[in-house]
Amino acid sequence: MMNDPELEELFGDPADRAVIDLLKASRPAAPPLDPHFRNYLRAKLMTQARQTLPARASRSWFPFTLSTKTLAPAMAAVAAGFLVVLGVEIYLHGQTEAPQVAYNITQIDKKTEVGTGEPIVIPFTGPVDKTAVAESVVMQPATAVTKTWVGQNLVIIPAHPLAANTAYSVSFKPLATPTATPAQNPVVRPTPAVAPTPVVVHFTTVRPPVPPVVPPSFKSAGVSYGYDSRLADPGTILSAAWTPAGQVLVTRPVGQLGPGSSPGPSASATPSGTPAPKATTDVWLMSSLGTPIRLLVPGGTFPAAAPSGGLIAAWQAAQGTQVNLGVWDLQGKIQTTVATVDGVPNRAPVWIGEDRIAYVDQGRLHVVDLHGTQVGGLALRVGNGRLAASPASPRLAVDAADGPVILDLRAIGSLTSLPSGAASFAWSSKGDLAFVVQRSASTDIKSANSDLYVATAGQPFQKVAISPDGQTWSDLSWSPDATSLLLATTATNGNGAGPGLVLVNRDGSSPTAFGPPSKEFASPQWSPSGDLVLFMRRDEAIGGRAFWTATATPSTDSAANRALAEVAKFMAARISGDGNAARAELDDAGLAAYQGGSSSLLGPGGVHFSRYYPVTVQPSGSKPNVFLVGVRIFSAKNGVESSFFEEQLTLVAQGQTYLIDAVNASPTLALGHGPTVVSVEVVQTPPGQQVRVHFDSDLTPGTITSDTIEVKDGDGKVVDANVTFDPDNHLATLAVKLRPGTYKLVVTTGVTDINGHGLAQEYDAPLVISG
Amino acid sequence: MPDGFEERDLVERAKQDPEAFGALYDRYFPQIYRFAYSRVRDQSLAEDVTSEVFFKALRNIKRYTYSGHPFSSWLYQITLNAVADHYRGLHGEVDLEEGSSLPSTAPAVVDEVVRRDRSRRIWAAIDQLPRQQRAAMVLKFSEDRKIEEIAQILGKSSGAVKLLLHRAVERLRRELPPEIEVGLT
Repeated sequence: MMNDPELEELFGDPADRAVIDLLKASRPAAPPLDPHFRNYLRAKLMTQARQTLPARASRSWFPFTLSTKTLAPAMAAVAAGFLVVLGVEIYLHGQTEAPQVAYNITQIDKKTEVGTGEPIVIPFTGPVDKTAVAESVVMQPATAVTKTWVGQNLVIIPAHPLAANTAYSVSFKPLATPTATPAQNPVVRPTPAVAPTPVVVHFTTVRPPVPPVVPPSFKSAGVSYGYDSRLADPGTILSAAWTPAGQVLVTRPVGQLGPGSSPGPSASATPSGTPAPKATTDVWLMSSLGTPIRLLVPGGTFPAAAPSGGLIAAWQAAQGTQVNLGVWDLQGKIQTTVATVDGVPNRAPVWIGEDRIAYVDQGRLHVVDLHGTQVGGLALRVGNGRLAASPASPRLAVDAADGPVILDLRAIGSLTSLPSGAASFAWSSKGDLAFVVQRSASTDIKSANSDLYVATAGQPFQKVAISPDGQTWSDLSWSPDATSLLLATTATNGNGAGPGLVLVNRDGSSPTAFGPPSKEFASPQWSPSGDLVLFMRRDEAIGGRAFWTATATPSTDSAANRALAEVAKFMAARISGDGNAARAELDDAGLAAYQGGSSSLLGPGGVHFSRYYPVTVQPSGSKPNVFLVGVRIFSAKNGVESSFFEEQLTLVAQGQTYLIDAVNASPTLALGHGPTVVSVEVVQTPPGQQVRVHFDSDLTPGTITSDTIEVKDGDGKVVDANVTFDPDNHLATLAVKLRPGTYKLVVTTGVTDINGHGLAQEYDAPLVISG
Repeated sequence: MPDGFEERDLVERAKQDPEAFGALYDRYFPQIYRFAYSRVRDQSLAEDVTSEVFFKALRNIKRYTYSGHPFSSWLYQITLNAVADHYRGLHGEVDLEEGSSLPSTAPAVVDEVVRRDRSRRIWAAIDQLPRQQRAAMVLKFSEDRKIEEIAQILGKSSGAVKLLLHRAVERLRRELPPEIEVGLT
């Protein structure tokens, strides 16, 4: 286990090595840290650094050279501007400008690829008027935010993750704390203060994966491990799990830095009498990049996210030795307390659907509803193993004291026995159960290993795989499409491979290493969208155990990728103004379409394209090897995006490549005038489909109805659709049953954002349903 | 662990650029604060020491030259000196081994996690080791430093550091509670 040549050389005695192993597996508790101290010290250091370090050579304030011909009109313009400024100066004479404060927007301004779950942080220096600055914050497109101060940093936290592929602006007024003025002459009226010009910050969020034509496959051999990043320093996150919206629910030692944290140790409120026990952990919401978003449960531990999002359950210290099982929303507001127990339970509660929670107290299983009413009088005796609830039906896999079982809550007392030793229960989104049974070394097998079992929904369980000799498997996590399992391996002797993550298909085939090996892995979990994996890893370089995320790319339809690659080349040429390269991506019909005015190849009237992204990718239902790709194209002025339009490109396979054969363009729309549609995706959900429409703004949920978002058939007739809205993802979903053919999605101006602004213009997009 | 070239570049820039110095601070604050706390076992003292370390680093960064060791080694050295200065200031030449003791309320841990309880107990035992042994153990097992780097930080030879580690492990073996030893096997 040591895996450290220095220590192996130094300690040969097995007893010494055992101590070393324990030391390597242990870390000192994270020290208490006042969250303001770090910022306070940084501010002091930076002040001194600016005074003592030599300034870098500054750039010329006007880094251009102008010819006389250019200079003459420019000078005239400057002179005219001077007169205007002079006029303004005269107008403002007698008024005073409100005191301003220094700020730093370089971390965010004009940045691209900004994470959708990342809070926006603006550091200030000097005596900032925190209340006034926070009140002045305005974000576009319309986004509900909370604003908090962490030391001198203004932290702006969107209520829901931002929309991808979207240009945002944040404006604020950099107001300083008003300075005390000497006693004024009562006869003289105070001069009015002029509010400083708002500072406007622009940034663009990341491009999400293009909606795939064919759902990606997570079969073990087709998934590639991308790059990984650590969520936080070792010891500062004790547990981590995804929320359905793709954020991370973590348990952290008290006193960790982040928005809304308090410098002192956390303790729950106690009405009177016995003080609450000194809490050691808090529950936080964190972005997938490891940025703390908000403190959800002070003094909380063992959180569990509700399956549809929006709520979490967790334990929180109460009076004396008592602990409450509560339910909070993702703003950190407690919704209800469903149980109180004596002593901290040793595992997280488990949601069963949206309205029941299972937990273990004093070695017995309890199930309660959200009113705290016990369901079914279970009190089953349980062991220390994992509890896991199926997302597809009210069934619970339990390590019961008399042996592992599946408990069916539809018929209390209905127990299905599982093989002795079954552990690491994991349910897929489709209701399949997987688990492992560990086998000790014996006369039959030379070293310990594991049996992997899978029970397809409603079917008996089957052993599908056995781990290689010298390796055990644990901590199972189903892929989003339930085609494979991700698990952690541990070497049990010198013959097995080192610890790592492994993907194995649901039928047990093709176990494949996923990512590099390291000293120890645990708790791998697929993100809900399947683009990230969260896991715990211990390695030498970073000083202990830490939670990491790694990007993962499932295999996707190669024909669609080839078509998209051609679109990427076409658009790159247009953005760089290379007309010849752009025309090389067109066939004769496509070239005629652009030359005929269907759309502008390089931007009309001197306008330059700044950015694009694919909105839809669909195979043509009627013609094989034809794809319809919708692209949104942005134009910028002075580095700031100001308008956009969409093109529907028809790509036709010609040999091994695709060429653009036809184009239809929408009118150009100005940005910042109400919500806009960011992407449209058709997902096959037999026997029908879902049309998923993503918006860029926080919307008024009541305006998302079957009257404001419609699917129309070829005759213009509205088809029946059940419309739902997910505010966490700005996502409207239409459940429809469409026959193969071409339809039209229509989003009317009746959809409004939280500020009451409707779409600037009705949005139409073609929908192609393949046979 | 930052890439060596990238770190050297950042350090060189920090000699002239306040923002680069800020980036160094952001990168190394957690480990320096953690190390300072492991030495003084008091939050307020750890804050004082950490402040002193970074202000000293700022005052002297222009004189820092790359010696093949990570920049953090230099910061650890300053930390050890700052801790020693602090105790000298308070108690004269009092040895840290006598001057420091576990606070009566050692940091609590999540009792329900057995592993973490075991971790707390073994680190509490490390806190009782003699000063130099404790520093070597913390740098090796909490900060994952190489022996050569620890030697540079402590101003000793690699052989001396190995001896410190060896003696510390021997002492832990003797003094660990029996139930932890059971957990070892």
